[in-house]
Amino acid sequence: MFRKYMVLLRMKYVEMFAYQLATIVWVVGAMIQPLITMIVWMNIYPQESDSFVLYFTLLILVERMTSAWDVWELDREIREGTFSYHIVRPMHPIHWAIAENIIYKGLFLAVLLPIWIIVAFFVPALQPHMDWAQWGMFVVAILLGAAIRFLFSYTCGLLGFWVTKVSAIYGVFEAVSLFFSGRIAPLSLLPPVMQEISLYLPFRYMIGFPVEIATGAVTGEAVGFGFLGSAVWVSLLLMVLGLLWRAGLKKNQAVGG
Amino acid sequence: MSIQVNHLNKHFQVHVRQAGWADAVRSLFKREYKVVEAVKDVSFSIQPGEIVGFLGPNGAGKTTTMKMLAGLLHPTSGEIKVGGYVPFEQKADFKKMMSLVMGQKSQLIWDIPPMETFLVNKAIYEIDDSVFRHTLDELTELLELEPLLTRPTRNLSLGQRMKCELAAALLHRPKVLFLDEPTIGLDVHTQEKVRQFIAKYNREHKTTILLTSHYMGDVAALCDRVIIINHGKLLYDGGLQVLAEKLTPYKLLEVRIPTVPQMSWDEYGEVVEIDEGKIILRVQRDRIPEVSAKFLQNFEVHDLNIQDPPMEEVITLAFQEESHVS
Repeated sequence: MFRKYMVLLRMKYVEMFAYQLATIVWVVGAMIQPLITMIVWMNIYPQESDSFVLYFTLLILVERMTSAWDVWELDREIREGTFSYHIVRPMHPIHWAIAENIIYKGLFLAVLLPIWIIVAFFVPALQPHMDWAQWGMFVVAILLGAAIRFLFSYTCGLLGFWVTKVSAIYGVFEAVSLFFSGRIAPLSLLPPVMQEISLYLPFRYMIGFPVEIATGAVTGEAVGFGFLGSAVWVSLLLMVLGLLWRAGLKKNQAVGG
Repeated sequence: MSIQVNHLNKHFQVHVRQAGWADAVRSLFKREYKVVEAVKDVSFSIQPGEIVGFLGPNGAGKTTTMKMLAGLLHPTSGEIKVGGYVPFEQKADFKKMMSLVMGQKSQLIWDIPPMETFLVNKAIYEIDDSVFRHTLDELTELLELEPLLTRPTRNLSLGQRMKCELAAALLHRPKVLFLDEPTIGLDVHTQEKVRQFIAKYNREHKTTILLTSHYMGDVAALCDRVIIINHGKLLYDGGLQVLAEKLTPYKLLEVRIPTVPQMSWDEYGEVVEIDEGKIILRVQRDRIPEVSAKFLQNFEVHDLNIQDPPMEEVITLAFQEESHVS
């Protein structure tokens, strides 16, 4: 499996460079929405500018690290019928998607981290104050968040076996997630009811939770519950994905050709 | 590897709905279906190493049947065994011994050179380095791939791409090969090349091949045996030659004589074409010797040519006269 992954990663790497412009847009474009939101909040609470700067920069990082686009790919491949070639090959197509995620996110890290380190020298607000345990939890929370977002997106994509244009439905979830994941505002600024609800939805664990660990907004017991929530959602989505995959293959119409 | 198909059925529930954003969401809650019987009680078997042509007009059910054989579609009922495997069980061993090429779909990764897809397939199918190199060399030579391997797939012409598709599908040396319209859209010259390649490959590797095609040329050149399917039902399974004799009980007799007299040709046969110095008649098969002799007796014959009716005509008849065939 390791050798297969090395080959898939290499191929995705080559492919990424075939889409130079799109890749640059993917890296840079991701920053626009959080930066605009940041400026809005800094204008509302000027005295807390520094914490917003740190929150939204962390958000850019976490959002990209957990970003998932698989639903669009699956939607297209199932609708156009090219997904058939994934099914007849003796390897689960999910590995192609995982390899692609690793390559794109690796590139983003490679670009963003050096820039962050350099800029943080001049802008103290960008320096996170984390101890080693926090760093460790931050990384694990990002990995779990990436897993939840990926599985959620892939599971939605598999609905393409039943529904054409499944990405429209995903769009609705994305809109909901803007609030509950902490992308519009830190969750602590949401009404208490929404904060309460966010604990039971997957969206907080996708983005908000890792950021809160890094900013120190979540501590003690709440961190444990956060990881529990993440783990539950990962297991749940894995189960649903397995079920949908088997049911989807039966439903598959292998269109075209 | 042999193929066994018994009483195969496939019904599709076709989702009836209007296109659009709102309807995509609405269709989550309320759906309307129409059942289409794409394949109805089809049975046949194919021996190892055989090339069989799968014929039928558009929408006849041949591609659906082939997709069930490749494990892509779940049969509604009936039994399929390909090389001892049940295709839909999706066993890795099954997938490693078969391959599917769809003329209308590409397995090559679109924006990077074909070689990248080959390397991915090498890893996925767990092909040994030496076997891979040997197979690739052989395919490169047979299909003249050398200049194509390093160019992005999207920059290849349709014919060049199809050659690479065939190579990608054959790298793991499948025992069973499903070819769905492999020559569609290709020019005559490239069609011929692809045909020659398939014939040679089958001869040398004893691969079992099931082929669908719209081009009679493909089927006539490659397949001794054809399976004809229309409206989801099997109409004919047997030799191509036998079918022609059964459906078109005549041959075409082309005779060259210095001048073609104005006369009734009824006692010879049915006139297809009269030209200066040439006449083509449709003659009952059993009357061919008699009519030929009559020509030689009564005219100064320069040339006499007996031809089978064109295969297109045979197949068109087969589709029309379902009752005659079976």
